[in-house]
Amino acid sequence: MQFSFSAEQLEFAAGLREMLEREFTAANLRAVWDAGTGHDQKLWGRLAEMGVLGMMVAEADGGLGGDFVDAVLLLEELGRAAVPGPVLETMSVGAIATAGTAWASGVADGSVPVTAALLGERHVPHAETAVVVLTVQERQVRAVEHTDLTISAVAGIDDGRRLSTIAGADGRGVVLDVDRERLADAGALAASAYLLGLSSRMLAIAGDYARDRRQFGQPIGAFQAVKHLMADALLQVEFARPAIYRAAWSFATDQPERARDVSMAKSLVSDAVQKAARSALQVHGAIGYTWECDLQLFMKKAWALIPAWGSATFHRRRVADAVLGPR
Amino acid sequence: MDLTETADEQAFRAEARAWLQANVPTEPLPSFDTEDGFARHREWEALLASGRWSAVSWPVEYGGRGADYLKWLIFEEEYWRSGAPGRVSQNGIFLLGPTIMEVGTTEQKARFLPSMASAQEVWAQAWSEPDAGSDMASIRSRGTLSNDGSEWVLNGQKIWASRAVWADWCFGIFRTDPDSSRHKGLTFILVPLDSRGVTVRPIAQLDGDTGFAEIFFDDVHVPVENTLGPVGGGWGVAMATAGFERGVSLRSPARFNVAVEKLIGLWGLIGDPDDDTMRDAVTDLWMRAEGYRLHTAMTVTKLLEGGTVGSESSLNKIFWSEMDVRTHELAMQLLGPDAERMDGPFESWVDGFLFSLSGPLYAGTNEIQRNIIADRVLNLPRA
Repeated sequence: MQFSFSAEQLEFAAGLREMLEREFTAANLRAVWDAGTGHDQKLWGRLAEMGVLGMMVAEADGGLGGDFVDAVLLLEELGRAAVPGPVLETMSVGAIATAGTAWASGVADGSVPVTAALLGERHVPHAETAVVVLTVQERQVRAVEHTDLTISAVAGIDDGRRLSTIAGADGRGVVLDVDRERLADAGALAASAYLLGLSSRMLAIAGDYARDRRQFGQPIGAFQAVKHLMADALLQVEFARPAIYRAAWSFATDQPERARDVSMAKSLVSDAVQKAARSALQVHGAIGYTWECDLQLFMKKAWALIPAWGSATFHRRRVADAVLGPR
Repeated sequence: MDLTETADEQAFRAEARAWLQANVPTEPLPSFDTEDGFARHREWEALLASGRWSAVSWPVEYGGRGADYLKWLIFEEEYWRSGAPGRVSQNGIFLLGPTIMEVGTTEQKARFLPSMASAQEVWAQAWSEPDAGSDMASIRSRGTLSNDGSEWVLNGQKIWASRAVWADWCFGIFRTDPDSSRHKGLTFILVPLDSRGVTVRPIAQLDGDTGFAEIFFDDVHVPVENTLGPVGGGWGVAMATAGFERGVSLRSPARFNVAVEKLIGLWGLIGDPDDDTMRDAVTDLWMRAEGYRLHTAMTVTKLLEGGTVGSESSLNKIFWSEMDVRTHELAMQLLGPDAERMDGPFESWVDGFLFSLSGPLYAGTNEIQRNIIADRVLNLPRA
């Protein structure tokens, strides 16, 4: 048994992290919010160029031909930077659902952003940006091009993940030969990895603030109440981490426990990121409750993705069915 | 990343399972915190050692199998699944043993390790003092060199010394530089508990057994050869030991996986299948135990690949101790009125509940662990 990543996988993730720290700061994220696009075309191009978008696209279609173990650390880094737009969707469900279709090369080169609504959601994220929307009709996954759809924006909590309702999908597009449950698991797993990185980022932001902000003549991070709040949040995040990596392996190697493992990951990380966001806000005090404070950009991403791809409760019950037997 | 077991690992698992099936006592032993129970557990340890299963990760020359940490994890899984007795030798084998291997002399390794592996000598730890609990650096028990420099003369008092009532030896830190304070001037010394001047006074625990004790030292003479690591460097040696305890070694995941499997069994037996809250709570514990297993597997892989584990081991200690309390709290909730009974079919659950409550307290309280995490992992300013 070997529960670790290869040097190549770690290097790729480190490279992505460096690029994002340099080229996509919180100020860039705020600019996307202010522009009202929910997407950063320049960053998207960089992610395509680096091979991030096509990590799980076949080499014949211009991708890197990797699996979920290759992708999971990248998704974590994208979450650390709270990269806006349909990135986790395109990289995971997009790459998997379009394999063998004419869209596959576009997933890798960035020309075909993909989004999805596979669980009966009444709204779809990133539909304004996506070229292909994956929907479920009569239990089958259908890929519908955005030109076939009527897209109406609705207000969402995260301006890096704009929401819409879609109409006109019925009977349009093409039926894909994919397992709907497995595809939804890919989305849940991608969201889990993204949320793991996001959790770490919020704790880092809170740590910076706790070292800097002084009250009663000392940095607030020297107070045990603050230390213990943050230690408890870190604890939850760090024990969600191996569950996410294991789920990536289960997915990549098509283990019989894949559904259970993905659900365990999403359930644990949803609770962990909730705790991380709440703790980071509390450490900040009133400044954290302002529009101006960058923490809000990250917290809102967390609050948007916690219910996405199945809530913690949904996934915990799925684990319960696997472990305790169905009700 | 490959989470499947190699053929070699599978063979090791099969060998351990077969030996345990043939040798684990069919009836549970009495608590090792009773005189009879201690003796019976010592016999069990000797039997384990005869099959070279008492310290699988130790080198062969000291009674181990030279198994890597992954195999040690496999052994632990088989051990706890087999229903084998608790480890009366754990303070020695999992805490002191690795420390001796790291900082001990060749003579010390030869003298202490084989008898530790075979439980001919069972070890107690003697760290805390009445005024040095969470604040362990305020230790006052002192060691003075005899005039000819051949012996330490020990005076003072230790407390909460687990297993000390029936153990043969203890290990602890003593202030050997009278002008020192805090972490400096402390020395790690190994002391036979039958030495003249040692008085062990048992303390009845919350569960009524005498698992821990006070140890009084009145002009106790021990040879200077019993010094482990450098004179004055005892704090560093003790911290290495505490790191093992909080980290992977003392609480391997398997016992929690097994405890949660038993909880699931209890839930199946007496739980209300329509109680979604309880169903979710049991599932949550299964995920925690599984998360701890995975976390340990990741840590162990890191160690095998040449990495190190530092202060993040404090995360483990909080995690397993709180998980264990929660497991038993849920069991008490499931038991309803039977949770009040100290005999009968559910006795082990009530015993387990009481024992679980010690977890967040010993080996450094969980509050101390949170401080360590905040200071050394999150890099928050020291108070």
